[in-house]
Amino acid sequence: MPQPYVIDKREESLFQVDREVFTSQEIFEKERELIFADAWLYVGHESELPKKNDFRTRDVGGRSIIFNRDRHGDVRVLLNTCLHRGASVCRHPKGNQKIFTCFYHGWAYRNSGELVNVPAGEDYANAPADVYGGLRSPRVENYRGFYFCNFSDSAPDLRTWLGPSAYLFDLATDQSEDGVEVLEGTHNYTLNANWKLLVENSIDGYHAKSVHHTYFEMMMELGQTPPMLGEGTVNGVPPVGLGTEFGNGNVTLIYPGNGLPLATEQVAHNLAELRGKAVERHGEEYASAVFNLARNSVFFPNFFLIDLNFGMIIRTIMPLGPDRTQATSWHVAPRGLSQESLQYRIDNALTFWGPAGLATPDDVEALEQAQRGFSARREVPLSDISKGIGKPRPAANDELQMRAWWRQWNYVMTGEQLPAEVEAFTPFTTREPSRKPQEA
Amino acid sequence: MSTTESQAPAAARPVSGVTLAEVEQFLYAEAALLDDWRLEEWVELFTLDCTYEIPATDVPDSDPGLTWSLIHDRRTMLEQRIIRLKKPEAHAEFPHSQTSRIIGNVRLTDRLEQSLLVEANFLVSRMKAGKFDQYAGRHYYELVPAAEGFLIRRKKSVLAHDRLDPQGKISFVL
Repeated sequence: MPQPYVIDKREESLFQVDREVFTSQEIFEKERELIFADAWLYVGHESELPKKNDFRTRDVGGRSIIFNRDRHGDVRVLLNTCLHRGASVCRHPKGNQKIFTCFYHGWAYRNSGELVNVPAGEDYANAPADVYGGLRSPRVENYRGFYFCNFSDSAPDLRTWLGPSAYLFDLATDQSEDGVEVLEGTHNYTLNANWKLLVENSIDGYHAKSVHHTYFEMMMELGQTPPMLGEGTVNGVPPVGLGTEFGNGNVTLIYPGNGLPLATEQVAHNLAELRGKAVERHGEEYASAVFNLARNSVFFPNFFLIDLNFGMIIRTIMPLGPDRTQATSWHVAPRGLSQESLQYRIDNALTFWGPAGLATPDDVEALEQAQRGFSARREVPLSDISKGIGKPRPAANDELQMRAWWRQWNYVMTGEQLPAEVEAFTPFTTREPSRKPQEA
Repeated sequence: MSTTESQAPAAARPVSGVTLAEVEQFLYAEAALLDDWRLEEWVELFTLDCTYEIPATDVPDSDPGLTWSLIHDRRTMLEQRIIRLKKPEAHAEFPHSQTSRIIGNVRLTDRLEQSLLVEANFLVSRMKAGKFDQYAGRHYYELVPAAEGFLIRRKKSVLAHDRLDPQGKISFVL
């Protein structure tokens, strides 16, 4: 087993990762235990459970869970395993149900978890409900309607863990006074590469020009300026953008949002109207951070918020094996958009993202090729992630954001705490913008 | 859908005279163009007001205007998709996959005034760099009879998959 996994030589401006961490079964299992058992893991958004008794089943952190709103309207996360012999108590991807019944022996649970019926229960000397209580739940907390769970009792609360990076959720949510909603339709796909390669790729501004050349050509053909090739500075963010870190491995790259590919005049007008309302609510500076900057963010370990003002996606990445990964992604839109604007956002985002988009398949190809390259890890043992190291304000196409994520990964895996590189950057002066109070 | 009258072509011949055999031959010919990567010719089969859709695997019946689907192209994006796929920098498809399409269970489900609704099952086998995948599902077409053959006003391909696994991606045209 390689030691150290991560080589962080500040004096030589070198940052390297041992390629064994992308291929080893032992590290994969250690990650399951350490990374995914003790982190805040994204479960779902409140808009996905509009009514009482709505539920969605998901895999989070390698566990099968039920994300639901119980009969009182409380949002819950229940571990989808019968207390009797383990089978799933809910096998549907979504629905509306007050009771979850295990089909194996018929044990039935309320959607708030209590065990309420055991067939032939009189045969038990001790009533199972008294012995076992109900379905187990991890800790569940939300920030601005984004729900996370944590399988550890000792982790800090969600808001503390997010720290100043919480503003990235604010900027996303404050596009509309009614907040945002997750649309129906899931991109659910696998790739033959280690999950950490997709983590890197999701916040990698450096590969954009080489891998997505054809996408940028298309944008230019349609009369648009691709991201990071514009000329204007927005709220202190230069055209090339910048990368920043917030502690706990939460990082973002942020850049002026150029171009609205495929936008009609009506769509541009609607967007300007949304922006105008945000200016009224929060002031010009905050509104320009919301609408004139684009952000690719990762919240350690595996939740991604890619927030461009003309399309926003969220993504979770789960390892299935050392060289096999599951990606799941959804589209997020401000509530109350006109149908034309909504359709524009969807179509525009679809041109780039997703397993049938004009960009994502090429990313996947690059990652699968990297994974193949790791077959020579004995001869070529290290990956380099040094670009921009030592700069006080690294650009979006530097690699600070990956290094910060890797340092947190290294900390969780080994206990070694490597110092941060830069001070967190916030593109507006007010850290706590005025906003409507969220749910009680 | 934002179609204008001027964009929508009138049927060049009456819908009532179209036979199922003629529709089948058209679908087979379309499949052959795709298998041969003759994409510039393929895109010319579409009307200017066309849509080409693939819904997300978990909401096959949804309206792609309101949901996060896999593909929702109008003519401009369809052309851009084709232009891109023919470049060597379309990394996921260079060199191109080899594909073999089987089109079956073809049904003419409705005759509208100017167009026909057609359904057909598909099975696309794909080989690339030692990896073999299959994509199964059903195509839904709206076809406008042209002087020769048809024009496609709408093609919706619904995958019979609950996730893209093991295929992972749809980097070519289904």
